[in-house]
Amino acid sequence: MSPSAAIARYEGGEILASPRGLAWLLAAAAVLSSFALLLIGSTELGLLDNAQVVCGMAGLAVALGAVIAAVMGVDAMAGERERGALLPLLATAAPRRSILLGKLGGQALAWAAMVALAAPYLWAVGSTGQNLGMALLGLVLFGTPVVLAAGAGAMALGALLHSARAALVASLITLLLAASPLLLGPSLRQSALGRGFDAVNPFSGAINALDAMIVDGESLLSQGWKLTFAVAWLMVAYAAALGSLQPRAGRDLAT
Amino acid sequence: MALPLLIEGLRVRRGFRTVLHDVRLRVAAGEVCGLLGPNGAGKTTTIAAALGLLVPETGHVRLFGEDPLDASDGMRARVGLVPERDGLTDWMTAADYLQYWAVLQGRPIGPEGVTALLSEVGLDASPDLLTARCSQGMRRRLAVARALVAGPELLILDEPTNGLDPRGRRRLLGLLHRLARQRGVGVLLCTHLLGDVERVCDRIAVLAAGRTVAEGPLQDLLGRGGNRYRLRLGGSVPKMALCVDSAPVRLLHQTQGEALVELGANVAPETAWRALLFAGWPIQEVRREAGGLEALYLSLTGARAEPQPAVADVTPDGDLA
Repeated sequence: MSPSAAIARYEGGEILASPRGLAWLLAAAAVLSSFALLLIGSTELGLLDNAQVVCGMAGLAVALGAVIAAVMGVDAMAGERERGALLPLLATAAPRRSILLGKLGGQALAWAAMVALAAPYLWAVGSTGQNLGMALLGLVLFGTPVVLAAGAGAMALGALLHSARAALVASLITLLLAASPLLLGPSLRQSALGRGFDAVNPFSGAINALDAMIVDGESLLSQGWKLTFAVAWLMVAYAAALGSLQPRAGRDLAT
Repeated sequence: MALPLLIEGLRVRRGFRTVLHDVRLRVAAGEVCGLLGPNGAGKTTTIAAALGLLVPETGHVRLFGEDPLDASDGMRARVGLVPERDGLTDWMTAADYLQYWAVLQGRPIGPEGVTALLSEVGLDASPDLLTARCSQGMRRRLAVARALVAGPELLILDEPTNGLDPRGRRRLLGLLHRLARQRGVGVLLCTHLLGDVERVCDRIAVLAAGRTVAEGPLQDLLGRGGNRYRLRLGGSVPKMALCVDSAPVRLLHQTQGEALVELGANVAPETAWRALLFAGWPIQEVRREAGGLEALYLSLTGARAEPQPAVADVTPDGDLA
């Protein structure tokens, strides 16, 4: 087994086997359940058609996945440093790249668990499983780079900032900023500024792509540029995380 | 053959603060070197620099003859580390954890290897125990086993006996001694426990305020104990007096109003004090330092051992009394 695979298994185990990781998944399930109940029980939301409901639930899964990846990313660097686990890890023969890929692999496993967790909800709110396949495909294709970019960015912040708390706050604020055009509503998103932000924002890109594929029935190929942007962001975040693991004058990586 | 670890003139800045000013240290194969110093003296930063985790401002660090910042990844497998905080994973068993670590070091081991490692540190009865259920002492021993997983040629231990009971401590020190003598491992033992140092170390380096204030074979440093004197100074030492750094008078440590000097074996103290007075040293009082590692450590790090009677007073006219 390669060091990357070992670290990925270790990190995945952390989320699937440790009480803390299970608590996160339970919290995610609670949020998805609440949203599902809202979709079914609310009179206004009940007017949404099947595709819109599935799209909303898929978007929520991406958001939850990004939050969990950001928490894992901060914990993988700043948390491990505070627990004294980063120093021995960086002192092993495992290359920095492998360590980073392994930790990203762990986040990918957590995201896979999140998709598996979201699948029955997508099936339930969509009734009869309509649009389920497209939603799962969209989650895997567009959600994965967005979630991993959030995780890699959080790792970079976790390595650069002195405390886990500061890194977590910075990561969550960054995520909120990425989601802000969606939260601010459609009018702002129709403006030139909103459209420009949407075009380069991977989070908006993923949600828009899900919307286009599930609600508007557009083809996967027509969403290629959004996928390209999301993957580009993942690359940028990965490079930042890798750079943050390189020793520099005046900065101690592990203590 | 290159030394497992050699550090010379190391100066390290952290943020805007210089935390190491001039650190020198050497660890040879088959030797246990103690790294001593008060809290905040820079021991952990020195270890981080030795592992290539920070970039020094000046000076150089050599791990097996190579700069750790440029060394290959595989070279790090030659170094075993027991950090001050063990950083173990709570949800894994001891055996699984060691196998995981062996993969990271690029030298996977099977169940037999795990059993041998656990036996070496006295944990062979609990391979399937979750690390979360291990006592503090067991966790320390597991951290030592983790450091040994790749058969290191250099072992760096930061306060390894913290939390160990006397038997566990004795056992660990015995293990370090055996590793050095029988397998030729170079051991850098960073500790505050001077008894541990006296028991296993061949060599020591003492850090104070980011500087190496003494470095050499333990017996040599202890043997010179009777030749160390603390001088009370009435003002600053003139720059020209730096020549005392060379034999037969060596300036070991200097703080505001005090200096610790060591005289060569054949130097008459009175001659040395007259020479220093002539060079402009405002010496007011001279006290001989006590012998033993504790006294050596306390005097080198600026703390006071039991006060010794003054062996020479200087009159206002500059004469020895």
